[in-house]
Amino acid sequence: MTTGRSMRAGEAVLGGGLFALGGLIAVETMLTPSVGRAVVGPALFPYLISGGLVLVGLSLLREAFAGAVAHAEGLELDLWAVALVAAGLAVQFLLLDTLGWIPSTTILFAAVSRAFGGRRLMVNLAIGLALAAFTFVAFNYGLGLNLPEGSIVERLTSPDAE
Amino acid sequence: MDTLAALGHGFLVALTPYNLLWSAIGVTVGTAVGVLPGIGPALTVALLLPVTYGLEPTSAFIMFAGIYYGAMYGGSTTSILLNAPGESGSIVTAIDGHAMARQGRGAQALATAAIGSFIAGTIATAALTFVAPLMVKMALLFGPAEYFALMVLALTTVTAVLGSSLARGLASLFLGLALGLVGIDMQTGQARLAFGVPELLDGIDTVVVAVGLFAVGETLYVASRHRFETEEIYALKGSKWMSREDWARSWKPWLRGTLLGFPIGTLPAGGSEIPTFLSYLVEKRLAKKPEEFGKGAIEAVAGPEAANNASAAGVLAPLLSLGLPTSATAAIMLAAFQQYGLQPGPTLFDNNPELVWGMIASLYIGNVLLLVLNLPLVGFWVKLLLIPRPWLYAGILVFSSLGAYTLNNNVIDLVILWVIGLAGFGMRVLNVPVAPCVVGLILGPLAEQQFRRALAISQGDPSVFLTHPISAVLLIIAALLVIGPMVLRYRSNGAGKGGSASPSGTHPAT
Repeated sequence: MTTGRSMRAGEAVLGGGLFALGGLIAVETMLTPSVGRAVVGPALFPYLISGGLVLVGLSLLREAFAGAVAHAEGLELDLWAVALVAAGLAVQFLLLDTLGWIPSTTILFAAVSRAFGGRRLMVNLAIGLALAAFTFVAFNYGLGLNLPEGSIVERLTSPDAE
Repeated sequence: MDTLAALGHGFLVALTPYNLLWSAIGVTVGTAVGVLPGIGPALTVALLLPVTYGLEPTSAFIMFAGIYYGAMYGGSTTSILLNAPGESGSIVTAIDGHAMARQGRGAQALATAAIGSFIAGTIATAALTFVAPLMVKMALLFGPAEYFALMVLALTTVTAVLGSSLARGLASLFLGLALGLVGIDMQTGQARLAFGVPELLDGIDTVVVAVGLFAVGETLYVASRHRFETEEIYALKGSKWMSREDWARSWKPWLRGTLLGFPIGTLPAGGSEIPTFLSYLVEKRLAKKPEEFGKGAIEAVAGPEAANNASAAGVLAPLLSLGLPTSATAAIMLAAFQQYGLQPGPTLFDNNPELVWGMIASLYIGNVLLLVLNLPLVGFWVKLLLIPRPWLYAGILVFSSLGAYTLNNNVIDLVILWVIGLAGFGMRVLNVPVAPCVVGLILGPLAEQQFRRALAISQGDPSVFLTHPISAVLLIIAALLVIGPMVLRYRSNGAGKGGSASPSGTHPAT
């Protein structure tokens, strides 16, 4: 649930975030020792872009305080679902190298299904497992790509590889 | 005649059974993914990128051409039956197309869209065949200064056109430009904004950004909204065929849409928003019953859908001949070229004629295949709309992460995807358009490169951009495009009620 007021806060966060990003780029560029003897060095565009970010950020902040925001009447948001999808993706990239593509992707699939209201956890896990296994086989053997098996599986199948 | 010989050679390449197979797979998969709600052509191309990794470049780009056109066809199905345009070019189609579907005339709306797309696609591909070599000739006159000016023009128009608010469009653009800074500076080899993370030295991939914004960000947004919004699919019923009257009312809009779509598509301002919208206005002006518009007028589907497909072919002209992407989809195609170590531009026509002309020839073939796939089989594609939403979006995220991971086989890309996806969600909530971000990410580094080259050649004299006539004209147009709307806004604000015209309508992802 989001009200018009928190939309203004969101707009302010966007403006402030761009402003801060502009500052960060400027500082980082200043701190980087310059190399090369080109007529225009590698620092000019970062400065220009950071300047642009600062200006756009300020203009968005001004809009936020003037009330010229999107959905000023408020917009209902189910933030629990957002958190669940985001968590599913995070679990996937955290576990991908150890557990491998198939288990971590199955978890992602089940998490997103749940966020969209799919209540049958076992069915969702089964479909996720089938999709993960299918993509693993199709992309690794059919197309020659390298989806990770997972370091645990690799250790189990070839214990001498350490 | 050179062009025809080259095209003929392209057909020889594209018609080998092997390449024909990839073209057929491309159009089929492109349509299938394009039909899925919320997935526009840009995302379709990005998601299907990994499928082409095992192919040699020519076959890969023949498949891409099929995916690109297929996604354009598939998008109209979702707009008409679900009122969920996957990209901004389909918004206009959705208005009357969906109204027709509500009246049980969905089949006719789909048919006029498919036949119109075929006619527009074929005429526009023919136009592309002859315009691209002319643009190559023009491109040979271009030095770095002209390229830089052209890119500035493209950057400004993309933003000015897409945003409902200038500040939000610029916010998206500058975010993309900032992302483009990350990595090793091409001229000096100096690392910029990598913060000591070795994986960032290669820069942030356009594909990761596009998938993050279009797929992850959009999925997060839909997840947050799905409890509050219901969607209805309108089944196909009644006669599947267009009546004589439908034909009579459709053929002129098809041709007019093509005439609007292709030339505007080739401009650096590019994209499909302006031609589809213009086509709608033109048809409304010329219609015998303008009061039907908005309530299911077939002209309002036929014209814009033709304009949409014609502009899709038009966008390929500057992309192939100048290396200038003018839409988010074109930006991803450019990234795909770079993945193969190819740089679109005049040299591509000299060095890889097989690839360029094979790809152009496959556009003709793909169009025919798509007509076959879409008219009789439309009922099959409609079934794809019935996939339960939990599994559909879970599947979209599985393929998004697969695409991001397989780019470099590296988990850092998945972390970047996550961060950009969350940012994309925030942008979607705040009504910030995401397409300028993708275009900024790809045009920014190119513009910087040309700018520094131009100055290196002129030995640091910045007047080159104004003393070269082509460059000067392009920069003046760009300046007018930025200043013009500002002046208009300022005047209407002064005259009106201090109006803060806040954009409240939903705008789709692409």
